[in-house]
Amino acid sequence: MTQPLIDLVNISKSFDGDIVLDDLNLSVKENSFVTLLGPSGCGKTTTLRIIGGFISPDQGKVIFGGEDITKMPPNKRQLNTVFQKYALFTHMSIADNIAFGLKIKGKSKGYIQDKIKYALKLVNLDGFENRSVDSLSGGQQQRIAIARAIVNEPKLLLLDEPLGALDLKLRQDMQYELIRLKNELGITFVYVTHDQEEALTMSDTIVVMNQGYIQQMGTPEQIYNEPENAFVADFIGESNIVDGIMVRDELVEIFGEKFVCVDKGFGNLTPVDVVIRPEDIDLVEPEAGTLKGIVTHLIFKGVHYEMEVTTPGGYEWLVHSTDMFPVGKEVGIHVDPFDIQIMNKPASEDEEAVGVNE
Amino acid sequence: MKTAHSRFKEFFENFYLVLVLIFLYAPIAVMMVLSFNSSKSRSQWGGFTFQWYSQMFESSAIMDALYNTLLIAFLSALIATILGTAAAIGVNSMKKLPKTVFMGLNNIPMLNSDIVTGISLMLMFIAFGVSLGFKTILLAHITFNVPYVMLSVLPKLKQTSKYTYEAAMDLGAGPVEAFFRVVFPDILPGVLSGFLMAFTMSLDDFIITHFTRGAGINTLSTLIYSEVRRGIKPSMYALSTVIFVTVLLLLLITNFSPDKAGTKSSPSKGVQTASAGSKNSGIRQKILLTAASFFIIAAVSYTSWRHVASSHSDELYVYNWGEYIDESVIEQFTEETGIHVTYDLFETNEEMYPVVEAGAVQYDVICPSDYMIQKMAENLLLAEINLDNIPNLKYIDPEYMEQSKSFDPQNKYSVPYTWGTVGIIYNTKRIEELGVPAPTKWEDLWDERYRGEILMQDSVRDAFMVALKVLGCSMNSVDPKELSKARDLLLTQKPLVQAYVVDQVRDKMLSGEAAVGVIYSGELLYLQEEAESLNLDYELEYVIPEEGTNIWIDSWVIPYNARNKENAEKWINFLCRPDIAKKNFEYITYATPNQGAFELLDKEYQENTSVFPDTSTLTNSEVYQYLGTEADDLYSALWKEIKSH
Repeated sequence: MTQPLIDLVNISKSFDGDIVLDDLNLSVKENSFVTLLGPSGCGKTTTLRIIGGFISPDQGKVIFGGEDITKMPPNKRQLNTVFQKYALFTHMSIADNIAFGLKIKGKSKGYIQDKIKYALKLVNLDGFENRSVDSLSGGQQQRIAIARAIVNEPKLLLLDEPLGALDLKLRQDMQYELIRLKNELGITFVYVTHDQEEALTMSDTIVVMNQGYIQQMGTPEQIYNEPENAFVADFIGESNIVDGIMVRDELVEIFGEKFVCVDKGFGNLTPVDVVIRPEDIDLVEPEAGTLKGIVTHLIFKGVHYEMEVTTPGGYEWLVHSTDMFPVGKEVGIHVDPFDIQIMNKPASEDEEAVGVNE
Repeated sequence: MKTAHSRFKEFFENFYLVLVLIFLYAPIAVMMVLSFNSSKSRSQWGGFTFQWYSQMFESSAIMDALYNTLLIAFLSALIATILGTAAAIGVNSMKKLPKTVFMGLNNIPMLNSDIVTGISLMLMFIAFGVSLGFKTILLAHITFNVPYVMLSVLPKLKQTSKYTYEAAMDLGAGPVEAFFRVVFPDILPGVLSGFLMAFTMSLDDFIITHFTRGAGINTLSTLIYSEVRRGIKPSMYALSTVIFVTVLLLLLITNFSPDKAGTKSSPSKGVQTASAGSKNSGIRQKILLTAASFFIIAAVSYTSWRHVASSHSDELYVYNWGEYIDESVIEQFTEETGIHVTYDLFETNEEMYPVVEAGAVQYDVICPSDYMIQKMAENLLLAEINLDNIPNLKYIDPEYMEQSKSFDPQNKYSVPYTWGTVGIIYNTKRIEELGVPAPTKWEDLWDERYRGEILMQDSVRDAFMVALKVLGCSMNSVDPKELSKARDLLLTQKPLVQAYVVDQVRDKMLSGEAAVGVIYSGELLYLQEEAESLNLDYELEYVIPEEGTNIWIDSWVIPYNARNKENAEKWINFLCRPDIAKKNFEYITYATPNQGAFELLDKEYQENTSVFPDTSTLTNSEVYQYLGTEADDLYSALWKEIKSH
């Protein structure tokens, strides 16, 4: 495996007494695409800015390529940032924007010219050298911001919600573009977003954060299929999270009915959280299901139907299915054992996070 | 029908536009026309001339003031821009509450009235022992300019994305480099407009400058103000015209400069234009910067040179009325004695008094009027003059030393410089038309036939003097009964009076707008010469009324805190020399008490009884005395009643 490029060790940071990051540890491997994902205020941007050097942590160290860079100012770090609102220099031409970092480093004119050409070609904006920033669309501006960063050949590129200001179609195009760029350049990306779909599409590794703690870290598949707690399950995709009791290994009781699952090691008669994705619920004849319920809501979503099924006790199950069951129809709920995800109930949010960290 | 209507509408629109333009530009046009008028009168055209322009460039007072004004405006704007921009950056990164508080604190000085700012700055400078001068004006201007710069820079900072600075750092720029390469260009329009605003505020300012300036330093505004007493010189019109035309040219140049169009069109037009535009603006910025730095270097070296030049061991600080000396006399004095003169102007006795009393500026020799000398002596503000050092005192007619005793009983504080009377000026032709005999006494000003033809002085003491003399009382009366009688008398006269004026008496008399007016004799020589040169078909005569009048005397005194007392005595002695007194008389045209000078004058002057009246006509006349604050208040209250009736 490749070496860790950057290591965050026991990082803590608070603003005006509000703890934003609490004893955070994160390791990013070289040549990976790591996404920090979480709702606003979760500390993901703060983490990125600590890596970039714009904020210094109250405690902890930032190790970059084996060197402690905690106190190094941003202009000395071998990494570049693509900012949320592009932060292009509007009083300069596109070429001058891209050349900014190279000029400061005192590169030769010829070298700079070549680099500008190369970078513009890379972001599919050949011939834009002398255009003014104002004349570009949002997507074009974002590509220039990326070009401006990558001409400096950083080892690490930080991207702070770079697609946040773009419309949906453009955002999807840019996602592919970014993956292509990363593969062509072979540099490490640390990407911040609150859009879970974006994270799932682009990343090698997703770091789900909430309230200053890392909730779960893993591949997109791990994060989606095996959320380690209710927060991750809820934040990534849609899911039904219900209270359950682990009767014994591989058997969980939900709303009084017993479901066979594949999880073990929770002990006997332990209260747990149970996560079931809406697309994993099979609606069957009432008698064939483990639970019985009535369809109370129906929306056609194109690829599938979205239904709500209310079971005795009042819980509304969210169900995605290509089969349609009309409102008012009695149905049975069946879930395959490997589609049931069992999680420990957290005693508190703190414990929730610590448990994951260890 | 419709076309008629629209034609009318069009006419009305144009008419309105012309009206607005006239309203805006007529005053400037009048001033420009007057700057070419060979007559000093503001209402008579005496022919076309450039003499005021040449006078302007020759007058070291005007050129110095112009230089000071520009230098102070430039330096204060520059320093305020630097401070204000830095402060704005700081404030912009503050949290909301401190920011609001700070901006409130920033705005208060702007809303504060200038006079409060001026006085408080002056008090602070005096309290901390900073001597008033160029640097105090500069400091004051910087003080009031900073908030304006902040106000114009802050909105630009708010518009600027805070990430551009970080982006520059991210790309390898150090904090300073990042600021100047990325943030500064973004806020430059705000910084420039802040600079220009500060520059104009500084150019415009009178009140704060007035309070914080010291000896020998004038800006244009304070210089013009100090000349108000004898009427603003036409060379000031010339100066204002030059300033106006310069500003107009600058405006035209900036508006029609070709590269502005280039930068404007950059977003929409092709690649070529945009790059050309940005290149041009870069060059323009470089030119501007070079020009600015050149100006600063020139300015600093000039001021330091002035500083060296002015730090003579032999110095004299003179405080005198505006236009109250022939400037060549000052040069001659320096030539003959080697004493460097710092010459400063005041407009009224009341303005001079607090300056001396506060000791803000230490003058060596001052020229106040009679009653003010009494007041200063009573308040121990004067030093005794060593008359042994003034041998030329022998040329002063003893008559005036005698008159001086009314305010300086032992003749130990003052040496007379000029004197004069207050009397009635009349238009011979107009009087004939009205069928009234020429006036001989104050009482004639109550003659019904003069209805609407009388000009009275708009000043308490002068107005009451007239009434008190008619009543046969002393013009220094403090008796409330006599004073209320005088008030009643003035009230009965009021319907006959055309206007209460100060300066305009001479203009109105010259243009034949009034038949009679109360006037200071000092104005006469000028008026009569002007009337002659304009070839008027009437003559202006002067009479000293039988009841007696005010004899006023302006004398040189030495304040208690003079640092160069011997030089001050040399100065007084020099001015008492007959040839010098003659020179000054010919310039000022106020009567000289100098017998030696009188004998040197042309016969024409010697025989002019309005300027040099027969002393027998002055038997009932008096000199103003200082009456104390209580009487002053009573006078003011009664005068107010008359004016508001």
